[in-house]
Amino acid sequence: MTIAPPRSTTDARRVFFDARPAVAAVDLSVRIGGLTLANPVMPASGCFGPSLGRLIPVTELGAVVTKTVFGTPRGGNPAHRLTEIRAGMVNSVGIPSLGAAGYLTGQHPLYLALGVPVIVSVGGHRASEYAPVVRDLRGAGDAYELNVSCPNLDRDGTDIGSDPDAIGKVVRAVRQETDKPVIVKLPVLVSSITDCARAAEDAGADAVCVANSIPALPLAPDTRSPLLGNVIGGLSGPNIRPIVLRLVWLASRAVQIPVIACGGIETADDALDYFSVGARAVQVGTASFGRPFAMVEIARALQERCLAAEVAVLAELIELWRD
Amino acid sequence: MPTTPTDTSAVTGTPVTVARAALDALRRQQAFAAADEAALDGLIAVRPPARMPRPDPVWDDAVVLVHDVVGERYRRLVLATDTIATTALAGQFLMITVPSRGGERILLPRPMAIHRRHPEQGTVEVIYGVAGRGTTALVDVAVGESLLVTGPLGRGFEFPCPAEPDAAEASGTEPQPARTALMIGRGVGVCAIMGSVEDAAAQGVVATVVLSGRSWANLIGLSDCAELGATVIPVTDDDGSSALPALGELLRGLFAATPPDVILVCGAGVLARLAAELGDEWGVPVQVSLEAHMACGLGYCHGCAAPVATDPAVEGPLVCVDGPVFDAVLPIAAPAGGDNVAG
Ligand SMILES: Cc1cc2nc3c(=O)[nH]c(=O)nc-3n(C[C@H](O)[C@H](O)[C@H](O)COP(=O)(O)OP(=O)(O)OC[C@H]3O[C@@H](n4cnc5c(N)ncnc54)[C@H](O)[C@@H]3O)c2cc1C
Ligand SMILES: Cc1cc2nc3c(=O)[nH]c(=O)nc-3n(C[C@H](O)[C@H](O)[C@H](O)COP(=O)(O)O)c2cc1C
Ligand code: FES
Repeated sequence: MTIAPPRSTTDARRVFFDARPAVAAVDLSVRIGGLTLANPVMPASGCFGPSLGRLIPVTELGAVVTKTVFGTPRGGNPAHRLTEIRAGMVNSVGIPSLGAAGYLTGQHPLYLALGVPVIVSVGGHRASEYAPVVRDLRGAGDAYELNVSCPNLDRDGTDIGSDPDAIGKVVRAVRQETDKPVIVKLPVLVSSITDCARAAEDAGADAVCVANSIPALPLAPDTRSPLLGNVIGGLSGPNIRPIVLRLVWLASRAVQIPVIACGGIETADDALDYFSVGARAVQVGTASFGRPFAMVEIARALQERCLAAEVAVLAELIELWRD
Repeated sequence: MPTTPTDTSAVTGTPVTVARAALDALRRQQAFAAADEAALDGLIAVRPPARMPRPDPVWDDAVVLVHDVVGERYRRLVLATDTIATTALAGQFLMITVPSRGGERILLPRPMAIHRRHPEQGTVEVIYGVAGRGTTALVDVAVGESLLVTGPLGRGFEFPCPAEPDAAEASGTEPQPARTALMIGRGVGVCAIMGSVEDAAAQGVVATVVLSGRSWANLIGLSDCAELGATVIPVTDDDGSSALPALGELLRGLFAATPPDVILVCGAGVLARLAAELGDEWGVPVQVSLEAHMACGLGYCHGCAAPVATDPAVEGPLVCVDGPVFDAVLPIAAPAGGDNVAG
């Protein structure tokens, strides 16, 4: 039988909470459409949930992003849903979802309680399925991220997001439903990221997020049998960073709206790499599993870097490299 | 952690025959693992809400105080982590982040059961087997280094103790706390049940613990059980005593007069099924601790689906938050000829 702690105990988590920086004179804020985020660091969809709020001071993040919400409930893929190989993490969770109604009652209140802007990720199997989900969310959420890039659900890896026309259709329909900022999260495997990002911008999106995980098939090293119940999944983690850096660079040159970078970010230096090629905000996915505090550490380090460089806004820090 | 009865290390011969034998062994291992998982079919149910609140998890830089070899195949870590040592409940687990070494990056933390809790010293013990890249890299962590751990996590074992108020209400009697428990662990699965052996010792529950392994040298928990005053039934593959029919017969004989009040099991699907059969015969509850591949351990990544068939529109239980401990109940047998019923 375990009894109440006989003495006061401490742990690294508590020390980390206590080390919360005083409000600094650095402006890390970023605007996504009409929404201002206090800093550019947020989780990647599916790699965060309210339960992580017990381990980190979420209020130090710019926003939180929900797991993708579909219109109707979905069960997700069979086990194993994730694994790790030398190349990185591979998941085929299959996006289980409570559906829009289930999200509103079961999940949204928990996200709201975190005290930072909530970006609701929205999914669909067809271009026509997104707008109804946004409608069914009835104004819940501060912005919507349209996941047009889930690689392992539709047609063996081809996505709505690889077709600029379909992206345009999705965004225009969603625009009819909401005035809130709309972010389009693009896939990696597209013939032209420039065309996809432009299609989103032209249809009225407020930002693009680049990118989702990379379609992959992990095999057991010894038996060559598939490691995932779904056979194929999405590769994530630090090894995808150079691939996504290229995409972020291309997308940033193609559109005026902010590009949010997502792919293998683990440290403030990784985030600065992305900022230096044009990203305005970053999302952290896989890194949070091994180091739950990674996002908060990045946000704190960006502050410190700016202070050390004696710049008042993050953009100036990035300009320093451009010179 | 199903351990297979095959061992590839003893294979000798020409390179071709060795390669073939190794592949055969791997295939047997796969077949065994599949059969082991199939044994869980229809057996698993999420436990009713517990009366005891679960402790809040923390993450901590746990200093490695001891890192030594146990038996032929396992290693033991003693970790200094105050909060976890004082709050962890029996059967809960940790996520251990494996530090990067020599170019080897391990991204996902590895789930490991909390084998022992020493709240006075502020330490916990973990025993692990070297399985793949992550546990291989873990071996290199030296005493004095710290490991990032998150825990305590999950729903552990719960004795049906002065408890289950619904059952009491239904029967109109004062609930009886469990007085005796049968615990069955195989391989590193023993680690999941050792917290309950500790609880039993503290609560005066008489514990009988089956420790199963490939060989005597590979039995985990002998010294722990001795220290905690539990009766041990060691069974091994070497002498055949771990075979299911033999073990079933042994336990049926042992508990013929008075069955235990509860059965706790971890380490193999086939053992969980045996436990469920015994529980069914004796009319006692059975709890089983399961494994799943995990990333977050906190219920948000949805990676750890329990190996149970579910409605495609409804997500099944998640091992990290709904478990790892579940009720194991034999599925109600379909009536004979039921397949032919039309409409
Ligand atoms: C709740 C729980 C408690 C556990 N307790 C113990 C314990 O006390 N001692 C012990 O030795 N082992 C325990 N395990 C199993 C242990 O987590 C795996 O052996 C370990 O993750 C293997 O990692 P690897 O990198 O060596 O293997 P790899 O095969 O290289 O791992 C690849 C990926 O698959 C995952 N994986 C592979 N096998 C397993 C498995 N059996 N269970 C879960 N994930 C797996 C890994 O975590 C990793 O993400 C436990 C598992 C769970 C879920
Ligand atoms: C377990 C897991 C679940 C994910 N679920 C979603 C999801 O529901 N919606 C989505 O848009 N992306 C999802 N992703 C992709 C991530 O948001 C992110 O794009 C990808 O992991 C790359 O970033 P990283 O390298 O930092 O992890 C998921 C990724 C992982 C690892
Ligand atoms: S391990 Fe992430 S939900 Fe269970």
